[in-house]
Amino acid sequence: MSLESKVRKVLGRFPYEITFEIRDGVVFLDGEVEAYEEWVEIGLAVGNIKGVEGVVNRIKWKDYPEEELRRKEERRRKLYEKNKGRIIGEYDVVIIGGGVTGTAIARELSKYRLKVALLEKATDVSVGASKANNGMIHPGVAPKRGTLKAKLNVRGNAMYDELARDLGVKFKRVGSLWLITPRTLQKYRRYLPGPFYKFVSAYIFPYLVKLKGMLNGVKGIRIIRGEEIWKLEPKATREAWAAVYVPSTGILDPYDLVVALAENAIANGVEIHLETEVVGFIREGETIKGVVTNRGTFLARYVVNAAGVFADEIAELAGSREYTIHPRKGVILLFDKELEGWVNHCVTELRFPAPAHTKGGGINPTVHGNILWGPTAVEVPDKTDTSVHPEEIEEILERYREIYPDFPRHRIIRYFAGVRAPTFTEDFIIRPAKWVKNLLHVAGIQSPGLASAPAIAEYAVEQLRSMGLILEPKPDFNPHREPIPRASEMSLEELDRRIKEDPRWGNIVCTCEMVSEAEIVEAIRRGARTLDAIKRRTRLGMGTCQGGYCTLKAAEILSRELGIPISQVVKENGGRLFNGAVRGEEP
Amino acid sequence: MKDVVVIGGGPSGMAAAVKLAGKGYDVALIERKEELGGILDQCIHDGFGTKIFGKALSGPEFAGHFMDEVSKLGLDVHLNTYVKSVNAGGDVKELVTVSPRGVERIKARSIVYAIGCRERHPFEIKVGGTRPAGVYTAGMVQRLVNLYGILPGRRVLIVGGGDVGMIVARHLYLEGVESITVVFPEEFFVGLPRNVQQCILDFNIPFRPRTVVKEMVGKERVEGAILVKVDENWRPIPGTEEFYPCDTVIFSVGLVPYAKKLRAIGAEIDPRTRGPVVNEFFETTVRGVFAAGNLVQIFDYVDDAVESAYIAADGVEKYLKGEKRLDNPVPFKPGSNVRTLTPHRLEWKDERPVVAFLRPAVEGRAWIIVRGGNGEILKKEFRQYVRPSTLERIEIPREAISGAEEVYVDVARV
Repeated sequence: MSLESKVRKVLGRFPYEITFEIRDGVVFLDGEVEAYEEWVEIGLAVGNIKGVEGVVNRIKWKDYPEEELRRKEERRRKLYEKNKGRIIGEYDVVIIGGGVTGTAIARELSKYRLKVALLEKATDVSVGASKANNGMIHPGVAPKRGTLKAKLNVRGNAMYDELARDLGVKFKRVGSLWLITPRTLQKYRRYLPGPFYKFVSAYIFPYLVKLKGMLNGVKGIRIIRGEEIWKLEPKATREAWAAVYVPSTGILDPYDLVVALAENAIANGVEIHLETEVVGFIREGETIKGVVTNRGTFLARYVVNAAGVFADEIAELAGSREYTIHPRKGVILLFDKELEGWVNHCVTELRFPAPAHTKGGGINPTVHGNILWGPTAVEVPDKTDTSVHPEEIEEILERYREIYPDFPRHRIIRYFAGVRAPTFTEDFIIRPAKWVKNLLHVAGIQSPGLASAPAIAEYAVEQLRSMGLILEPKPDFNPHREPIPRASEMSLEELDRRIKEDPRWGNIVCTCEMVSEAEIVEAIRRGARTLDAIKRRTRLGMGTCQGGYCTLKAAEILSRELGIPISQVVKENGGRLFNGAVRGEEP
Repeated sequence: MKDVVVIGGGPSGMAAAVKLAGKGYDVALIERKEELGGILDQCIHDGFGTKIFGKALSGPEFAGHFMDEVSKLGLDVHLNTYVKSVNAGGDVKELVTVSPRGVERIKARSIVYAIGCRERHPFEIKVGGTRPAGVYTAGMVQRLVNLYGILPGRRVLIVGGGDVGMIVARHLYLEGVESITVVFPEEFFVGLPRNVQQCILDFNIPFRPRTVVKEMVGKERVEGAILVKVDENWRPIPGTEEFYPCDTVIFSVGLVPYAKKLRAIGAEIDPRTRGPVVNEFFETTVRGVFAAGNLVQIFDYVDDAVESAYIAADGVEKYLKGEKRLDNPVPFKPGSNVRTLTPHRLEWKDERPVVAFLRPAVEGRAWIIVRGGNGEILKKEFRQYVRPSTLERIEIPREAISGAEEVYVDVARV
């Protein structure tokens, strides 16, 4: 059957008149539907067809934000006209996006004799999906066999020991434990009468999971039962019939990694331009000549599109829109550090097939001793919708209650949401653009994007090589980066020595996390410009009281170090911390 | 070796240190900040000291009294000093402190913790929505306005009908913000009637009872909040959501003893007060480690917090003198109409009456009744009006409870 008739057949399942065209394996959809959910569903159905390389979903739904998109377009056009003539510099590679993908690629490229710029529109790196995930380095069991995801996940996971060591990023291979309980195969219960249900659940199903993992190349998977489960996770439910134990699963702080990648890339010559938003491209025929931003134009020989949830818009601006991102929100709950030890592994309950609304997520420890629950997976129309609804909090608390029945669930200290960037084909898209010569797409990097990041970077650079980029190794590449030392982790002797050199080490600003003034000043010296940027680099305000005491102190230090009035201090991305008049300065 | 180290230079810490130094003990006072006074430096409104000094002082004035005492007595004060760790296991306690002078170790025979409380934050009450700039706790705003001279914003929503929320509302009104509304889930304000009159009604500040914030709205800076009405059990009533435009949301939703440092040294914590379990001289379950002030429980008046510090100081003295304890401590237990009760046990031989603090779970005319294990009434005291928002103080003569195996303190509505 031709691709065309397959698409027609799939679209026939929906009660709408959807038209389509196909160009080089990319399906463009047009039409109108009632609800946003249908827009997603149709996109996914077409993306699922074998042979489809991308879905550009131009279908409109009832509340389609036409006006808003028009305004956005208008704004970009104005900025484009204003800045296209102002040349900032000439680069071998310009990377768009300062998330984990962009910074990992930047650092990988910094190994070679190249002039590289990374453009990020926010005030800091790692402020999109990269900051708001659970920090899990997945082992690679979950992705479908044969996908790019599966390949890069397994490879990326294996690269982390060395990478984390080089970058001074805290990383722990805690392993994951997937519990098999009476609920695991619930949907099949009626086909599996009596004790047969337990037998299949506990003795056959886990081997299928193990087999899947092994075929993906994951090593060390074990099936465990009974006391062995509770030896690893003493407080997990006694209901567990068995568990799949995967030792290679790791955890880290995602923003810690991104900051480290960025700092190391900078140390090796990459320029990182913050608050630099891409508004268009200068093209000559099928080749991009320049990337136009709100600050001016970066002339580029190659461009990497690592713009996360905005990758489709960047692709469109560049003239090679081959996919549409359907934002998928994930909510995470964070528990107090004092619960350290309650959960030692990344734990979740296997459910097959996964119930749609409870897809994904689990319980994770963090490298700092907190515990995370989540994330959820909800399709949202707005790419910047990081809101958390009270119902979602309850839903998560309910979901994992059964596997940790006694967990002190009231000790939440924070919750947040991030938006993943899946395309409708649901695999990573890392390939040269189809209709522009020197653009590389690195899109659709959703979970396990963090785990795959080092492998994505390697793969992306290989793609650039195949596109003609000449890679000449730099002999003086320095893979090492020193993290900001933490007063809370130093020996008393070392802390005393540092204080004697610089008394600011002895001024503890955040009492919950024991963060000293010296750490804050160092974070600012390394480029933190906002309160949240300091928070991510030092853990200031991340403890039990969530900044109740130290926020003002930190704002004061930011004001002093940056030489700006305290009223100009920003929380993140332009959100001024204090919005009122300074007494005496205004009538 | 110090006789006693007091951790925390707020009113309770200073009071304990001053009293102990007055008794002739060698005392060190440790404070995290650059000056003594604790939270009082930001409380420039009046009403402090009515019980102790018989007049309504401002926070800095009240603190000033104790600061003078501290300097008169020439106490060993360590400012800008953070207590990193404490080993309280044996007869000699060891503290490791961090300050711009370096890492230091202090040995002491006993410790008084007076590190106060922290404010509950919006995440603890599960407020949804986004996390933009413009969301504060009331204490942070008080500090911002009074010590930094900055207003948090122009259009303000205050969440919480307690004293702190009301005082901040008045303050911001006087500082000239454009609009203020106070919302709270209760039927009426829960703070002192005096504050309702002087902070809210006198200035016609709008308020909405039975209303809570369901979600915050705004990407970079607060743009508003979604309010929702709640029923008498504080459950949101569907369909009553309403968008309230504002640029600032201030949460004043309760204080919690900052007990994590006590938990870290192994002290038992009372899930009701969220402070340490203490005996009648405010000694925690770790021998020789005492607690005072808002770390024990949240007091309504600084005067009561100071009293707790005086009692703790008496306890330190008994401990240092090695006075005899009862062979069998007498447990103190809250009755069904009592939310929180301190102390949790009677442990020493002494002449002085036991001072108990309790928070009623009911409202109205009532008796406070102290019973023994067999239900016999040991003491009764009438109260014109009790309410959950007002901490009750009762003195129980020792002879009344001598011989009792357990003591129950309850409130009975009349």
